[in-house]
Amino acid sequence: MSKVLCSIPTRGRYFTTLPMVLQAVINQTWLPNKVIIFDDNDEPQDMRKEFIYQHLFQQMKVKGIEWEWLFADKKGQHHIHQKANLMGYDWVWRVDDDCIPEPTVLQSLYSHAIQIPNVGAVGGSIITGEPINAYQSTGLIKNIDSEPNIQWDFIKGIKEVEHLHCSFLYRAGVHDYNLGLSRVAHREETLFTFGLHQKGYKLLTVPYATSWHIKNPQGGIRSETKEEMFNHDEWVFRNFISYHGRTIVVLNGGLGDHIVFNHILPEIRNPIVFGCYPEIIKSRSIGEALSLFKDISQWDIYAKMDRWKWTDSLENAYRKMYL
Amino acid sequence: MILIHPFAKPLRNGKENPKNYPYWEELVQELQKTMHIIQIGVEGEKQLVPDFRKNLSILELRHLLNECKTWIGVDSFFQHLAWDCQKPGIVLWSVSDPLIFGHKENTNLLKDRLYLAKNQFLWWDFTEHNPNAFVKPKEVLMCLNF
Repeated sequence: MSKVLCSIPTRGRYFTTLPMVLQAVINQTWLPNKVIIFDDNDEPQDMRKEFIYQHLFQQMKVKGIEWEWLFADKKGQHHIHQKANLMGYDWVWRVDDDCIPEPTVLQSLYSHAIQIPNVGAVGGSIITGEPINAYQSTGLIKNIDSEPNIQWDFIKGIKEVEHLHCSFLYRAGVHDYNLGLSRVAHREETLFTFGLHQKGYKLLTVPYATSWHIKNPQGGIRSETKEEMFNHDEWVFRNFISYHGRTIVVLNGGLGDHIVFNHILPEIRNPIVFGCYPEIIKSRSIGEALSLFKDISQWDIYAKMDRWKWTDSLENAYRKMYL
Repeated sequence: MILIHPFAKPLRNGKENPKNYPYWEELVQELQKTMHIIQIGVEGEKQLVPDFRKNLSILELRHLLNECKTWIGVDSFFQHLAWDCQKPGIVLWSVSDPLIFGHKENTNLLKDRLYLAKNQFLWWDFTEHNPNAFVKPKEVLMCLNF
């Protein structure tokens, strides 16, 4: 049985929607192994002293759900999600602190994730007030500006898409969040799920997985409103999707790494390479990659090999990363 | 003619790179008795033989690799370049793992896996140079089957 983590970043919602979300998680028909609340409040408080929370944690104990309250670094929710991504679970169910899942959400997401081959992430309906008619939406990244998000409507059948929004279940540890985004982390989930799609994983929207997004105006993990942060993140997002259908390769390594990588380059689907040694591999500069994507740590092969506890060859590590 | 590539890239902290072979003088002394040696490297590195060619381009290095009988070096870009040129040689290992960073086409001389750095994926600045981690010149010479 796979291990599933429920990850809930929170900010400014101790006494409004956060307890509602926790109760909804506890009431799931299929339960996660663990719930972690990532507290990103400017002035965090110890909720264990609060009567409501005491009851919620007691319910978790009775139902066998491990829980943990972690204080986040106030760098934005993408950092929180990346932390959850690397905690060693098979799947992470990310839930916003104002997005209330109906009882069957996790059961539906998980069953589709494990029954359909090669799934990277699964999302359900995310309804804010009234559903928005998105029956004809494709969920393709090229249509992101011209159609309502497919998850804003009630989902009646399984559909393969190219990006997901808000709350979903994803395969952990196979793709990194972009940590180059600003603290508002605008488009972080679109970038993340599109990255899974680019790596060849299926993204699905599925029925019987409706969450009610209250969009509480108080608090919120994206409560900063600086326009330049949104513009910065939008720039990164637009640069990523401009390489739709291509494999972005970033080789920020030594000469030897380039020589080894060059041997697997012919196996890579439609590559666009940013590198340091154009005499080995025709490439664009690392400076350009930094300018376009802001953070290139997701392509750090040595960090990946360390994370994978790698004992095979460097060449095969590149294969695992890019093929 | 054989090539030697004696030194790995200098560390940022100025310490000796733990991948640098400590017995080059002794090894070169023996090699020079029977063959011409060309040292490959960059400006600032210690000269070990009269024919020291510095700062060569990749193309020039490829040309030399095609010309040479074989080569001896440490774990650096050069062993990858030689592998790319399909010219087998001898790599003198110490703290980095030949199973990860090496190529089976080469003769990979590792004294003992006990000397391998625990974490193979950090900067080498954090690993001390240990002369005991390397094989002695006698073992290198035994691998040269001319």
